[in-house]
Amino acid sequence: MRDAADVLANVRRGMLPAHIYNDAEVFEAEKERLFSRSWTFVAHESEIPHVGDYVVRRVMDNSFIVSRDQAGEIHAMFNMCLHRGMQVCRAEQGNASHFRCPYHGWSYRNDGRIVGLPFHQEAYGGEAGFARKGQRLVPAPSLASHNGLIFVSMDPDAPPLLEFLGDFAFYLDYYTKQSPSGVEVLGPQRWRVHANWKIGAENFAGDMYHTPQTHTSVVEIGLFREPKAEKRKDGCTYWAGRGGGTTYKLPPGDLDERLRYVGYPDEMIERMKGQWSQEQLDVIGRDGFMISAASVFPNLSLVHNWPKVADTDEVLPFISLRQWQPISADETEVLSWFVVDKEAPEEFKKLSYKAYLMCFGSSGMFEQDDVENWVSLTNTAAGTMARNLLLNGRMGLLQDDTPVVEPLTPEQFAGPGVARVGYGEYNQRALLNEWADHLEQDPPKTAPTVVGMSGAEACS
Amino acid sequence: MTAYLPIRSADSPLGQDAATTEAVGPSLAFDDARHLLAHRWLVEEAYVLDHQDYDAWLDLLAEDIHYYMPIRVTTALGTGYDTAKRMAHFDEDKYSLSRRVARFQTEHAWTEDPPSRIRHHLSNVRTFATDEDDELVVESAVLLFRSRGDVRGPSLVSAGRTDLLRRTGDSWLLARRHIAVDESVLRTQNLAIFL
Repeated sequence: MRDAADVLANVRRGMLPAHIYNDAEVFEAEKERLFSRSWTFVAHESEIPHVGDYVVRRVMDNSFIVSRDQAGEIHAMFNMCLHRGMQVCRAEQGNASHFRCPYHGWSYRNDGRIVGLPFHQEAYGGEAGFARKGQRLVPAPSLASHNGLIFVSMDPDAPPLLEFLGDFAFYLDYYTKQSPSGVEVLGPQRWRVHANWKIGAENFAGDMYHTPQTHTSVVEIGLFREPKAEKRKDGCTYWAGRGGGTTYKLPPGDLDERLRYVGYPDEMIERMKGQWSQEQLDVIGRDGFMISAASVFPNLSLVHNWPKVADTDEVLPFISLRQWQPISADETEVLSWFVVDKEAPEEFKKLSYKAYLMCFGSSGMFEQDDVENWVSLTNTAAGTMARNLLLNGRMGLLQDDTPVVEPLTPEQFAGPGVARVGYGEYNQRALLNEWADHLEQDPPKTAPTVVGMSGAEACS
Repeated sequence: MTAYLPIRSADSPLGQDAATTEAVGPSLAFDDARHLLAHRWLVEEAYVLDHQDYDAWLDLLAEDIHYYMPIRVTTALGTGYDTAKRMAHFDEDKYSLSRRVARFQTEHAWTEDPPSRIRHHLSNVRTFATDEDDELVVESAVLLFRSRGDVRGPSLVSAGRTDLLRRTGDSWLLARRHIAVDESVLRTQNLAIFL
């Protein structure tokens, strides 16, 4: 990556070299230094609820079978046959006790262990030739889950997932732990957009400023109870651990009234009260903030909103989880799931699903306009002019680095991290600082996996 | 052995009240008046959609329409399903479609301003009688060509559609549309269009 030190130094002071949103060298650095190390979301446990269920997901160019084995344990296995490297599973999802490679017929249990190797004795001379014992599809170097969200890391020495998430785990509960049963995650809708992956992650992390402009139309058609999109600046943004997000300021009321205001039925509110900590409840009930969009570094985003789903005054909340899967410097595959509490009443699940479809995802009325902007931004970032342009990403800071508004005190905001009312680009900077920290490090050193040679070390 | 798995409104949480009329018998002859009527209806609708004349399009939709485009997923042959469970790209009733149309008519629906140049290429139309005199099932293929701006190449969306047309007074209205999109990962930036 050209001028790496300058690029990273500029990013750290909130001055954004415009080309980072469409630059093949930057993308290569992200591939080698960021996605080779960071925890990355791949699936939710509710997508593979039964023994034998699997989905196939990617981290950059790496395909993984995420499966639930006969004992109910979850695995993420590199989808490459140990013989000639053929993809052993070519479906996106299904249920299987075994995966058989169509090329030469090697087969593997759904926990990855090799079980069939045709003519092992005749062709290889048995174990003395190819040491089959203990061989398995290569597992993701690190695998962990939290609230059912399954993450992998390409780094065998990755820190524990909860340590990586840090205080953002507090906020993740609003989206994925509204009751003891957790959530079910449906989808994903998948589509490709000619936009750089970072733009969506930054937008969801903290861009309350775009809402009144980009999303004017959804307010005009009466999808929201609040008459003016400018309401957005009364909310706060927060950054905690490796994630951050945005909130809306709710009208006066107690916890129950505020949760009812966004459309939660009383039985769900009762479960939230039993599930969440006093601090988690206080953010809503005492402080009057309702979580909305958020991002977890590097490319997982969440959103919570509450539109009308019929020609009445009632609103219905929905939650979506999405991943900005990088394809290249100028292309991203969006995977967007609908998320709903497992214990929610069926009628709520149905209408929440409708609310999601109307607002977000491949056909969502919010998302349509977001993507148009991000594609356009990516196009213009490709040229030499963009290489010499430092965009000002310092909203919320004076030129001498004094903040425009002070952080909320613990008495004003019960959640961890740093929260500030109003428009600002604190969270986008926090996300890009993480990005710079990763790009500055050398790629992790991982010992090669050697197939079929007992006790052998790799040649180096 | 067939890879064909029909789409059913009953599989959607929002499709429980959709019309359930099904095709009966083989497709109608191409000179059958009912086929000619249905084919003409689809051609006229394609022009309405290409012109993005969405008020006219809403007038073609029955009040109880279920407009449903599930997510296609790659599954092994014989798995028994090739659409995602309880999720879709579109799962619409008249209200949600009317909100989508209303949004395009504000001055702030940026994704279609400037508008895409779109053309619905329609083919493989066949019509089936049903047990109802006033209802016909029509199947068609549609290839949507969509060009935006002057930088990026165009995008294509290929789909099969199974429609239920219903005579209501003097006109025929779309009462149900099932869209079998042919890609599991769409290669168009959003569905700010209709199929």
